[in-house]
Amino acid sequence: MQSRIIQIAGLALTLAYAVFIVWIYATEPRTFNEVATSAEVATGTYQINQEKFDSALDLFRREQFRAARDEWQRADPAQGDARTQFYIAYSFYREGWGRLYYDQQLFKQGLEAVNRAIALASAGPLIVDDPNLRMHSAAELKAELEQGTERSWNDVNPLKVLRTRK
Amino acid sequence: MRGDLIEDERPDTNTNRSRNRALLNYVALPMLFLTVVLLGGLRVGTESRTFIFVAPPLVTLLLAVLLVLLLVRGRLIRFHQWIASDLPPLTNVVHIWLLITLFFASAQAFNSVLPERGLLHWLFSFFFLWTLWNNQFSSFDPRRLLRSLAILFGTAFVLKHMLLASLYSPEGGWLKRVAGTLLQGVSLGTLDAPNFAPATGYISFFTLILYIAGLILLAFAGNDESDPVVYPIVGEYRQLPATDGRAVRDGILDDQPEPGARVERQPARRDE
Repeated sequence: MQSRIIQIAGLALTLAYAVFIVWIYATEPRTFNEVATSAEVATGTYQINQEKFDSALDLFRREQFRAARDEWQRADPAQGDARTQFYIAYSFYREGWGRLYYDQQLFKQGLEAVNRAIALASAGPLIVDDPNLRMHSAAELKAELEQGTERSWNDVNPLKVLRTRK
Repeated sequence: MRGDLIEDERPDTNTNRSRNRALLNYVALPMLFLTVVLLGGLRVGTESRTFIFVAPPLVTLLLAVLLVLLLVRGRLIRFHQWIASDLPPLTNVVHIWLLITLFFASAQAFNSVLPERGLLHWLFSFFFLWTLWNNQFSSFDPRRLLRSLAILFGTAFVLKHMLLASLYSPEGGWLKRVAGTLLQGVSLGTLDAPNFAPATGYISFFTLILYIAGLILLAFAGNDESDPVVYPIVGEYRQLPATDGRAVRDGILDDQPEPGARVERQPARRDE
């Protein structure tokens, strides 16, 4: 009887350990901190660093987009918060936007970030209520970023210079 | 009085033995092999000092299959005792699980000592394959097999984590200077290998020690359970009380022939 209990306990324990190992190899954390963050994401207890998020938002409003992105990345190291990813995408959009041309590299990175945000907010459409932004939904931002990366005859339209940044 | 004491302790000893054996077989060994699985693919980057997880390449799975076959042939794994139709289903499941952990631990042990890419990766793989294939046709007992495996992994460890690490270290290890002097003008480009922090070598060493320790424990666990088909008398002897056991031992020792008598008999056999 005791041997049976040890067998069941051993099997359960080692199966849990095996699942942990598979998860480690799938997520490939680079540091012990990342292991802890990934574990928080997996268990649903992950929260972003609100202080860093607010300081990044402040930098974003002062148009210091790179610094803002750095702060947001520190606030959300696991890239698991849809709102933060939306703001990161928005910062790529605003930095890459130009009256004459769009920075393709920045727009592509923005597109990746907004796709992450949409994937994270799979429960419903992602809406960010920020009066300082002109685009509030992730879908809108994605469309804008996609238009920026596409080539068309509109690119040679001289009236393009009259467009405004959102 | 002393005999009574031994008799009283005997059931406890048997219970402890079976409990410890169960803990070893069903908890300690799978945990140990899974730790090898975890650490076997772990490297530490040179500059960033961050973890890099290298999944086992396909060739290591092939090597692991050969190694498990060798362990069966070397009687380190007693397949017919581990998985049998007359065993309880749970015991069979637990033993299959132990085999699975052993298989992946073997794959990761190879992963730990194989260079990650380049010509050296294939050279090492080839030598491993060659050695394991040859060993399939040799006769092994568990002890010799363990010794052979310890030497195989030890050699690969020294080659990869000491010689090659020195050859490709960015600071220029002692071997790089020697090779530079000997092979002036000859490029080592085709023998390219990635650089890792020295911690990688320590992790690999620890992994291999764990793996070999696991195999040794496996051998002990196997030896502890004498084959009931071949040695049914051993099982019956173990069931005896202490006093009866001692009487049996005395009886066996009394039956031993005198050394002189054996010498006398030998010429007679030669005459036949």
